[in-house]
Order: sequence, then C-alpha cells, then structure tokens
Amino acid sequence: MNVGYQFEPLQKEKVTHTQLVRYAGASGDFNPIHTVVPFAEEAGLGGVIAHGMLIKGFVGEAIGNWFSVKDLAKFSSRFKAMTRPGEKITVKGSVVGESEHRWICEAEAVNEDGEVKVKALFEIKKG
Amino acid sequence: MAAQLEEKIGMKTESYTFKVEKGKIKELALAIGDLKEEYLNGECVLPTFPTVIEFWGGQGSFSNHLGLNVKKVLHGEQEYEYLGEIKPGDEITVSAVVEDAYTKAKMNFVILKKEFFNQHGERVLICRQTIIERH
Repeated sequence: MNVGYQFEPLQKEKVTHTQLVRYAGASGDFNPIHTVVPFAEEAGLGGVIAHGMLIKGFVGEAIGNWFSVKDLAKFSSRFKAMTRPGEKITVKGSVVGESEHRWICEAEAVNEDGEVKVKALFEIKKG
Repeated sequence: MAAQLEEKIGMKTESYTFKVEKGKIKELALAIGDLKEEYLNGECVLPTFPTVIEFWGGQGSFSNHLGLNVKKVLHGEQEYEYLGEIKPGDEITVSAVVEDAYTKAKMNFVILKKEFFNQHGERVLICRQTIIERH
C-alpha cells in the first residue's frame, strides 16, 4: 500500500426499482420519492430516484472489498447527482494520503457516462 | 423563512434505542447486494448499517419533526466517524441535535449531528448529515 495506489473497481449490477423498494424496507427510509413514481413526478423529479445511502452502500461494499471494515475509522460522502433505476454504478478508489496511523483514501461512485453520483473520503486504521 | 430556519439550531430529538438484529444486517446486505459472508450470517455490520438504526429506531422522519417538506428534501452530505464497534445484539441509543441551519442559493441547509451510544454507555459512532430542502 502506498499513496497513489488504485483499488480494483467494483462494478455493480443495474439499479432496479425493485432494489429501491427493497432498500426502503431494509433501511426504513420510506420517503416515497424513492419508491412511488407518481409522488416522485409530482415532486418534480421525473420519476423515482435511488436513496443516496444505497449508493453510499455500494461505496461501503467496495471499501469492504479493499480493506477490513473493522479498520474503517471515518467515511464521509457528498451526494452529487441523483441515480435512477437502469443506471449501472461503478465504484473506483485510491489512496490519496497517509498519516502515522491512517490511510486517507477517496472513492467515487460513477455511472456508465462517468457522471459522479457520490464522492467519498474515508480513513483506514493502519494495522 | 431564514429566521425560522435558524431557530432550529440547537433543536434536539427525543433519543431512541434500537437493538441490532442479525436479520436486519442480512436484509441490508441483500438490498445493497453486498453479499459478504459475515454480513449474511449477521456476524458484523456493514459500514452504512447505522442508517438502519436511525430510520427504524427513530420515531418518524427527522424532516417531519423539523417541519421540512419531504417532497423538497434531498440528502447533501453524510459522514460517519466510527469510534467503536457496533455488534449484533447491541442496544444502540441515538441522540440528535441540529448543529447548524442556513439558507444558501435558494435552498435550506440543516446540519444534524447524531451520537450513537451502546448499552455500556460507550460512544461508538458520530454521524453528521446535511439535509437540503429545495425552495
């Protein structure tokens, strides 16, 4: 491990409407903008959008592939763009810095056009 | 509008407690599609599991409590600081406070700080989130 190291990207399956319903039930976030099309249209979103935390969950999955999640000390994210059913997300990441006890890393969840959905910064305790 | 919004600073929600169940860990793992063995058998929690504690532990949505319009609410930023391990069987108590609230570019921003304590009184997690309400 060293600064500049690029992790193996995580390629997710297409996000589906069913997945959003399932995520609503699992997380307990039942805001209908994520599950009920007419409600989301009325809200001016043009259809349902994925929970930001689902996409953050994809980033969390990638972090768990790259490291042991028990070493995760901090995980912050910025929700940059909405994700809709049918989009395919890839999570990329790299080490951007280090301190005596931590690796400082960054990750991005992007769609097939390279649109950034979630930008994350995370810190891993060195073993 | 802005004055009303700023009045929310310092507002607290009633704290709530949630018992970490193996079934909920597995359910979240399946919804995300993160099929690691330790999640499916409920041995350890996913990095974003605290969101389950917030929504299932809390009484209704914080947006409603703050008087925000759910049709106009978006999630801006979210940060977890993991101070200790959250384990299956733990009883986690969450308290939340509005740290900041302001209007910028025709949107309302509300910064929430939530602290998670386990049954031993140890603070295991701090969560900060920015809620955006479009005008």
